[in-house]
Amino acid sequence: MKPFLLSVLFLCLAACAADRRPMPTLTVSKDATGAKGCEAVYPQGRWQFVHSIDFSMQDGSGGTVIGVTSLAGNELTCVLMTIEGFTLFEAAYQEGKGLAVQRAVPPFDKPAFAEGLMRDVQMIFLAPSTKNMRYGRSADNVPVCRYAGIDGRIIDIRPAVDGCWQIQTYTADLIMDRAIVGQSCRKEGDSLIPEHLELRGFGQTGYTLKMTLIQAENLGAVSE
Amino acid sequence: MKQLCLFLTLTFFLPALAPANESAPQVQDSPVAQAPIQLHSVKADFVQEKHLKILARPIISTGTFTFQAPQSLRWEYQKPLHSILLMHGGKVKKFIERDGQLTEEKGMQLDSMQVVLAEITNWLDGRFTDNAMFTVSFPDKKTIQLTPKDKGIAALISTIELKLGEQAGLLDAVTIFEGPDSSTRLTFTNRVLNQEIPASLFTDR
Repeated sequence: MKPFLLSVLFLCLAACAADRRPMPTLTVSKDATGAKGCEAVYPQGRWQFVHSIDFSMQDGSGGTVIGVTSLAGNELTCVLMTIEGFTLFEAAYQEGKGLAVQRAVPPFDKPAFAEGLMRDVQMIFLAPSTKNMRYGRSADNVPVCRYAGIDGRIIDIRPAVDGCWQIQTYTADLIMDRAIVGQSCRKEGDSLIPEHLELRGFGQTGYTLKMTLIQAENLGAVSE
Repeated sequence: MKQLCLFLTLTFFLPALAPANESAPQVQDSPVAQAPIQLHSVKADFVQEKHLKILARPIISTGTFTFQAPQSLRWEYQKPLHSILLMHGGKVKKFIERDGQLTEEKGMQLDSMQVVLAEITNWLDGRFTDNAMFTVSFPDKKTIQLTPKDKGIAALISTIELKLGEQAGLLDAVTIFEGPDSSTRLTFTNRVLNQEIPASLFTDR
């Protein structure tokens, strides 16, 4: 029995190791004009998006919900509802004020869910601070904007991959914890809006969100 | 999640409020009881409008609804996302289109849906005041208002308003109020009563 358990343990450790994706090296460019493309990843002004969201967890469970995201500068509101229209979750995030959950129906009422969801939504819709940004190319010669957060986390934006964009985030240990792939982008003003988004969360609670755009509406500039 | 299933089931069964059983006791003061008709089946198209404070415009969904007494249902959304809920012979299934294919949604709490089903059949029998879940009021001849008695459900749904149509027992619209800034309105059109419906419609996607 012991050898069997050891084999299982070894396989598990091997699987975990395989899922740990280290941050690739970046060759920094002297000319950073290409970094402007990274700004187009994030919608500017006031926007409203409606997506269908298929979520699947590592254990095989999952489901489909409708997600509404409202953007106004650094303010972000997110609602999840069933196809039948029942509101499961509603929360708002504002820079400096933090997260405020207005409604959360079980099993969406756990604080970790709210924090995780809003972090994902911020990652997709809110541009990171440009204070510590470096622009360059990855080993596969793809343009990358690399943002370093004060907490040690790293965000890589690839603004031009197959006509759309990709985002990867790394922990302070420089291990990938989120990857977003945008597909079928369309240009709306200065922004590139993807028809499809796939977000993968790595680690112990791995999950995948497949988002399909139902409606995107530009509501104009943010009022002062 | 039980409460969510309750809500869904309530929504699904509301479009036809005509009695399915002539011998069932009727409430004399309710608008439904004034002109009961015997209901075997009903088909209708519906438009669903989801209103939220943050939405510049409501989210519009469209689909079709088919009910056959005593407990068979097909509730199908065509837009914006194709999905089908089927209830027949005590079994409940839900399918959602993913990557161009209708796949069964697993993990639904079907037991709680079946429990609620029993409650709903009371409504289909025209029993509106004798209700363990809702306080029922009739603001006018065309309106039935349902207010949850249970605090847990009341935290999720504040009121359900049923608007009766010209034909006795049929609904024009249902509005579910979750709170002051959130509601879902279902409007029914092209209703067809008591047509023969094959059982396969309630079992096959």
